[in-house]
Amino acid sequence: MVRTTVVGTYPRIGETSEEQALRRGIARLDRGEIVEAELQAIERDTVRQVLREQNEIGIDLVTDGQISWYDSQSHFAGKLVSVETNGLVRYFDTNTYYRQPVVRGAVAWKGPVLADDWKFAQANSKVPVKAVLTGPVTLASLALDKHYRSKKALALDLATAVGEEVGSLVQAGASNVQIDEPILTRYPGDLTLVSEALERIRSHKARSTLTLFTFFGDVAAIYKDLGDAPADILGLDLVQRSATWPVLAKHGSTKPLVLGLDLVQGSATWPVLAKHGSTKPLVLGLIDARNTREEDPAAIAKKALELKGAVDLKASYLSPSNGLEFLPRDRARRKLQILRTAAQKAGVGA
Amino acid sequence: MNALLTTSVGSFPKPEYLTRARTKASKGELSPDGLRTLEEKATSEWIRFQEEIGIDILVDGEQYRGDMATYFAENIDGTEISGLVRSYGNRYYKKPIIVDELRRRGPISVDWFTFAQAQTKRPVKGMITGPYTMMDWSFDEYYGSRADACFAFAKLLHDEAVALEAAGAKVVQVDEPALSTRFDELPLLVRAVGIVTKGLKAKTVLHTCYGNYNEIFDYFNKLPVDQLDLEMSNSGLDLLDRFKREPLKKEIAFGVVDVHSHVIEPESLIRERIEKALTIFSPSKLFIDPDCGLKTRSVDEARIKLRNMVVAAHAVRTAHGLT
Repeated sequence: MVRTTVVGTYPRIGETSEEQALRRGIARLDRGEIVEAELQAIERDTVRQVLREQNEIGIDLVTDGQISWYDSQSHFAGKLVSVETNGLVRYFDTNTYYRQPVVRGAVAWKGPVLADDWKFAQANSKVPVKAVLTGPVTLASLALDKHYRSKKALALDLATAVGEEVGSLVQAGASNVQIDEPILTRYPGDLTLVSEALERIRSHKARSTLTLFTFFGDVAAIYKDLGDAPADILGLDLVQRSATWPVLAKHGSTKPLVLGLDLVQGSATWPVLAKHGSTKPLVLGLIDARNTREEDPAAIAKKALELKGAVDLKASYLSPSNGLEFLPRDRARRKLQILRTAAQKAGVGA
Repeated sequence: MNALLTTSVGSFPKPEYLTRARTKASKGELSPDGLRTLEEKATSEWIRFQEEIGIDILVDGEQYRGDMATYFAENIDGTEISGLVRSYGNRYYKKPIIVDELRRRGPISVDWFTFAQAQTKRPVKGMITGPYTMMDWSFDEYYGSRADACFAFAKLLHDEAVALEAAGAKVVQVDEPALSTRFDELPLLVRAVGIVTKGLKAKTVLHTCYGNYNEIFDYFNKLPVDQLDLEMSNSGLDLLDRFKREPLKKEIAFGVVDVHSHVIEPESLIRERIEKALTIFSPSKLFIDPDCGLKTRSVDEARIKLRNMVVAAHAVRTAHGLT
């Protein structure tokens, strides 16, 4: 059996009236018709739905869908000492936006941000719930720094804060913690800083399993060194920014050159991964979480099995390429079903 | 001399009666004709308001649109519309899904342009959601290549631009809010917009917003349009120094009102922003407008923001003897 997991976010709303409760609740809060505690109850109902859907499909390691997060940056960073939040900024190459944290002094952890949500989620899930945090280097890169004037200095203080948060999650019972560092797909040279920051976080993880996840692109250029990062598991987006894109961009062909799974096969990380294998278990992001096109589970399973011998597949996971919030709810569910089927098929071969 | 002409980016908020009507129509409780009548009413009201406050180049206000990409996709063969996807906060939109070869079924926005232009003697902009944004904001289950999908949109949007011009549009605006999404794809965007604007005699405008302009600055003069329409007040006017060093060889429509804030900028602040712009751009090439479409504001907020903008532009014109 090859296990399955998700990366973090899950679509907050769907098409049915029940699935739109959170949207209605936020609108009612904005209009002053309900209070914050009532909205939190609606959020938690949504978290129950999200967990139920993942549980029913049979995902082995789930998340709370980050339902209460306004966005990946301000939810945690905005609650630290000396951090305010500013206007909207585009989040990587997605059509979504985050409130930019503005750092006005030395950052410090005030107290647990995620632990209560994690405890609630775990109490409502049949399988382990993974705690997910945005990594300090991505937080530092996407914030507006008015104090440190040094990405490294800011990132390391943020790492201390993230470490404290990880400690509070572990104390609450979390046995799986994931640190997202999508910035590595844009600035692979940040790997040294990411590793240094992870050292600070690792000291708080106790016996929990620490995953470092990179998404929104490939990490081919740093793949070999990534294996030395102080994390127990590596999560890789094997879909986006495929190696075929530069060819398309250069030649500007008007004919279809790549179709369907070829995009997955074309990921620049894949050949390096296949060549060098991994001494660490991996989370293999083989399902495209940014497009509705459905993958063939058999082809995904076959792809995963190409790594047999080079990667410990039984200790690894299959996953979507990134969080699922970029898909409509019904399509996200469908992708998870494909993921589960692919993992079952791969399990036979593994 | 035409100086400091005022305009708008595209969308205005929908009045309460139209929002309610759209909800009813989506449940099948109001006929398409019934909805159309109210969309026309709201469009006429916005045209009258723009005339009343003295805007020079008008827009139809997009009272008939939900999302800018979805509206176009609904009128293009080869697409389906997805369920809701989050943009930010509590805002969601339905994304197009490309499921087959893209083909222009017929006019997309020409009908509304014609309706709006018939209400006024002042020019009304023809509005097109650009090919790069259409591609970037769609799921693709057919082409398997961002370039192919983008060029397919560009070809059919060129036909739409030609049709708008034939219907009398003196200005055709291509909206590309996704322009700054992927810097490595800027050459693709330039080629695709070039396909849309090729051979047009109408003034062509490209609108974009909310991106890292410093990263895309080098492409501003390469964009195949006559005018660039930029959000400037939300980004703190921090691009002005760069424009001073590296002059824009096109007209600029300069956003002076933040569309994502409830705060109503006083006329004096808007005047200051225009004065700053005048230190860089010549008045005949400087157009004044809000940062972006005003659809996320209330009707009252949008009206006050627009009125203050026009009063400020007129005051600056007078102060500089430009009337």
